[in-house]
Amino acid sequence: MIEKKKGKMTKVMDYLKHEDPFSKGVAFCPGCGLELLIRFIPQVLGNDIVITGTPSCSAPVLLGQNSQSWHKLSYFGTLMTGAAANATGLARYYRKAGIENTVVCFNGDGTAADIGFGNLSGAAERNEPFIYICYDNEGYMNTGIQKSGTTPFGATTTTTPFGSASKGKNLRRMNLALKMAMHKIPYAATATLSDLEDLAKKLLKAKEAKKRGFAFIHVFAPCPTGWGVAPENTIEVCRRAVKTNYFPLWEAENGKIKMTRTVRKPKPVSTYTKIIKKFNHLNEADLQILQDDVDYEYCILGGLSVLEAECQLPVSAED
Amino acid sequence: MSSNKLFKHEGPWSDANDPLMCSDTGDWRSKRPVVDKDRCIFCGFCAIYCPIQVMEMVENSYFSPDLGFCKGCGICAKECPKDAISMMPEGDFEK
Repeated sequence: MIEKKKGKMTKVMDYLKHEDPFSKGVAFCPGCGLELLIRFIPQVLGNDIVITGTPSCSAPVLLGQNSQSWHKLSYFGTLMTGAAANATGLARYYRKAGIENTVVCFNGDGTAADIGFGNLSGAAERNEPFIYICYDNEGYMNTGIQKSGTTPFGATTTTTPFGSASKGKNLRRMNLALKMAMHKIPYAATATLSDLEDLAKKLLKAKEAKKRGFAFIHVFAPCPTGWGVAPENTIEVCRRAVKTNYFPLWEAENGKIKMTRTVRKPKPVSTYTKIIKKFNHLNEADLQILQDDVDYEYCILGGLSVLEAECQLPVSAED
Repeated sequence: MSSNKLFKHEGPWSDANDPLMCSDTGDWRSKRPVVDKDRCIFCGFCAIYCPIQVMEMVENSYFSPDLGFCKGCGICAKECPKDAISMMPEGDFEK
């Protein structure tokens, strides 16, 4: 009976080969997507990774408080303006000293898409050997829910509130992962927390691609506090984001885009927005704008994946 | 309730001699996950999706939360394919 039960265990368990380096009770909100992600990464990649990070929701836990630490990993706290540049220095040191190590630059979307985008783009262009993971909670959640470059159209934040003069953010969000894939780096991918097997595969692929150069993973991690999502719905939000094509899952090796999960019949984006409080005020016309934006992004992605398969990337002199 | 223990691994710069910091996050909880052992099919979805990773395997037959640290977010109850986990108000239980 017990043996029979054991056979049905989810495949994700096979990827969790290492110990969880965090202490049990850490200061993240209940239902936090970031907490699941940061505990998942060292369990898949191993505990000998070095994480560099910036002031963000992850910093109070990763950096430690007073003289003590919440975890057993090595952490290097840097500024938001120089996150990728600092990781470059670390990665180059390990390469020069001949130490086999994985540097993981773990930042939020504020650092990756807005403040630190310059040196992220620079590090990708120089093809530095480290993994850059952006956890996308669509805003500056730690400082009080301000809008960022990846905040979608219509979302209320404290800087784009809903009222008589403002109806949430009136601009489109940027597609950070596609931008990074356009750098033709060895590995770029998007992942989310509802599909952990996919995320684990992509993490291991990134670790492999790190030997050839820069690897970038964009992880969609909802923030229950900032978005007005019930804590138990965190995973459901991710799932619906994938099913509505709001956040399609794909990977790009050397710029060749390949969908890792195709949704046969995408649901309307309203199924995603109705369980999130920050979209509550959207009317039919606003939802149509958001839907058009989602369709447009997905269409571009689909078109690129077809085009990249047909066209040959010019072979560089090194190859 | 399991207490926090020292870990074997020591990172290049971290000091493994000091005990880790640990909050009693179990105090935050207003609802408690209760597992129905008979309905549990041991699929492990509650354990992988739990943000705090407190679902523990018991006798290789069912999962049980570590109530010392469970924050009561309810993801396990929501993601359970067999609805074997129910969230009960904390007031119903004696400490």
